[in-house]
Amino acid sequence: MSRLNSTREMEHLRERLREQRQSITTTVMVCGGTGCQASESQAVIDAVRDELSKQGLDASVRLCVTGCHGFCEQGPVIIIEPGNTFYCHVSPEDAFEIVYQTVMRGEVIERLLYTDLVSGERFQTESEIPFYQAQDRQILSQNRLVDPCSIEDYIVSGGYTALAKVLSAMTPEEIVEEIKASGLRGRGGGGFPTGRKWNECQEAPGDEKYVICNADEGDPGAYMDRCVLEGNPHLVLEGMMIGAWAIGARKGYIYVRNEYPLAVKNSRIAVEQARELGLLGDNILGSSFSFDVDVARGGGAFVCGESTALMTSIEGKVGEPRPKDVHTVVDGLYHKPTTLNNVETWANVPAIILNGSSWFASKGTQGSKGTKILALTGRIKNTGLVEVAMGTPIHDVVFEIGGGAVNGKPVKAVQTGGPSGGCLPVDKFDLAIDFDVLSEAGSMVGSGGMVVMDEETCMVDVAKYFLAFLQDESCGKCLPCRLGIDRMLEIINDITEGRGRPEQLDLLEELADTVAQTALCGLGKTAPNPVLSTLRYFRQEYEAHIKEKKCPAGVCKALITYWIDPDRCTGCRVCLQGCAHKAITGKKKQVHVIDTQLCQKCGICRSECKFDAIRVV
Amino acid sequence: MLDTAIEYGICIPHLCHVPYLSDIGACRLCIVEHVVNGRSQVTTSCTLYVDEGMVIMTNTDRIRKLRRNLAELLVAYAPNSRAIQDIALRCGVTEVRYPFQNHECVLCGRCVRVCNEVWKARAIGFVGRGKNRHVDYPFGVRPEFCKQCGNCVQLCPMTITPCNGPMKPGEERLCGQCESQLIIADQTPGSCVWCKLGEGFACGRYA
Repeated sequence: MSRLNSTREMEHLRERLREQRQSITTTVMVCGGTGCQASESQAVIDAVRDELSKQGLDASVRLCVTGCHGFCEQGPVIIIEPGNTFYCHVSPEDAFEIVYQTVMRGEVIERLLYTDLVSGERFQTESEIPFYQAQDRQILSQNRLVDPCSIEDYIVSGGYTALAKVLSAMTPEEIVEEIKASGLRGRGGGGFPTGRKWNECQEAPGDEKYVICNADEGDPGAYMDRCVLEGNPHLVLEGMMIGAWAIGARKGYIYVRNEYPLAVKNSRIAVEQARELGLLGDNILGSSFSFDVDVARGGGAFVCGESTALMTSIEGKVGEPRPKDVHTVVDGLYHKPTTLNNVETWANVPAIILNGSSWFASKGTQGSKGTKILALTGRIKNTGLVEVAMGTPIHDVVFEIGGGAVNGKPVKAVQTGGPSGGCLPVDKFDLAIDFDVLSEAGSMVGSGGMVVMDEETCMVDVAKYFLAFLQDESCGKCLPCRLGIDRMLEIINDITEGRGRPEQLDLLEELADTVAQTALCGLGKTAPNPVLSTLRYFRQEYEAHIKEKKCPAGVCKALITYWIDPDRCTGCRVCLQGCAHKAITGKKKQVHVIDTQLCQKCGICRSECKFDAIRVV
Repeated sequence: MLDTAIEYGICIPHLCHVPYLSDIGACRLCIVEHVVNGRSQVTTSCTLYVDEGMVIMTNTDRIRKLRRNLAELLVAYAPNSRAIQDIALRCGVTEVRYPFQNHECVLCGRCVRVCNEVWKARAIGFVGRGKNRHVDYPFGVRPEFCKQCGNCVQLCPMTITPCNGPMKPGEERLCGQCESQLIIADQTPGSCVWCKLGEGFACGRYA
């Protein structure tokens, strides 16, 4: 394709591409996102492609390998248009049937439809499924329309119109005003007003400015940035271009972690394609705006998701945070004014420009506008990516969209915001997903990770897990983070191993408070949150560990013993054969006994027992 | 900010700051309360630039408590230094609630910075991350361009042993030898106590 020299040329291209596609009668959209790739969607894609060419349907049926559809639990997922037929758990063997029945004859294959776990109902189309119905998918819904490796797809679906609009009809000041009025706040965790950031950067002195897209997502259980960048890189790119034009930057970086190979690949392809069309480079669409983007790969340090550490990493130095007494909007990358935003923040920008700030501000709450993508994981039925309007209660997300806990066990808590966030107990589930509400409750929206926990999760163990994660990921530069997390972990280890003393809880609280107030960067400042929030809501669990030397959830190995309930044991010998440590003895059809000396508390016997006879005390 | 405060005789305890080196804000001991629009935030004074009309509080209850907790962490980590023990006392640490460890380096980065910035030698640097962070030569081998000038050793706070000599592993404690002197000095707030860290480190008073 040739370079586009004006907005009109782009519109012509869009028209031409749309005409070309009119011959296509059916589109088969197979999810090629990471979640479905893990359920071997690549084999499904290959099988469907083979089948289509065997039937000679290459010209009239388009196979579109898209980004993540969100319902990762049900992967691999296929949607067939027209009809919006939604198939889940598709295997390569189903390819023939799908092509022969649904694509060629328009018949629905009952077997592959989604069955609701709660009501047992079957749903034919995507829009009927409760998981999707309760959501407000502004960004994620675009994922299924485009092949991430095709700029044509993005242009056909109306992409780059926002860019054309700002270049032809809006001044940088107007853009910043529009973003300010929309109330968009940073989606990466901090929730800083994006418009204010852009304004400060725009007003900062200097000719050389930068924009950065932060795609160094590292929270355990969070993958929304990954899916947006993998599934729709041009959307992010367009947002960055608009931001660059607004603040006056000529250079941008997408900082994506190398552990996301598909995101790296797709963003590189997107940048190449945009350069080819002249959407990146000098005099974009014939305007005075020149801008280029590089993809920088992160080396796997969690701390590089922190803005200043990310910038030093791009500069080629060791990725360590630096003091932010002068903000990065003034003194950022290469000590030049820099606007750094998260993937999701950038992805929100084109829609705000196109639909207006009032459209965006109409969603959400007083302080938090728009929608937020959440990664719903943990012990929940419908694992996946969820996009809801800000202000939706946690309860709705966990129970209506998520379907409640697996095995029907009661949900105990939800951990929001990754290692920087906190745990909220079930009686706080009426709280809205809102930056201010959640941080007041001791947690945060963060990047949007939501890990659901049930009765079998020990909250002290959760705090220990996150502390160990942060201790591993702390850069070690400043004293409170390096030594403070280490000591907090030491205390928690004491508690989980039965050496805890009551006064240690106060020390833990004081130490957590000290680290939160004095650490150098965001990682250290928020590191005590898992401890503080579990102490606030689940203090009785800590106390049970310390005073009664018991772990109520039966997780902390030093504090539990396994025993066999004689009333339930049938003497079937299953546990006896399963025990790797030969700790179980007993004759056939007689009650078995666990030797606590030999027992390693691995829990195999408990999962093997069909009669629920193995108990943990 | 820190330099200015010291110049005016307001002592703010500090460890990683050296007047002629860049500031990295690593030890966090020099924290102060910076009041912006009526809201006070805790920040390190070494990395803060002085501005007209700035409101800084160096000795509030909040700062004293935070500083004491930080110094407690520090002295529990590396008790075998007169400089660290002095800082702990100066910051009001009277008991250490964590088990003592006996580390040889507090990662203040004075040595690394003097090598990089004054001599431009870059013969030593930080290696590793988090708990594994330590100071080392490139790839662990002394390079030719290290002239063994000894500046790194001179600036190291760990080279000053406690008055009664180094403590053996397992016998670490808060030494408290200079307590009386420091407490008297504390009654006139802001005055320099001539703590061991300043001696030879050009803290401003000694320069």
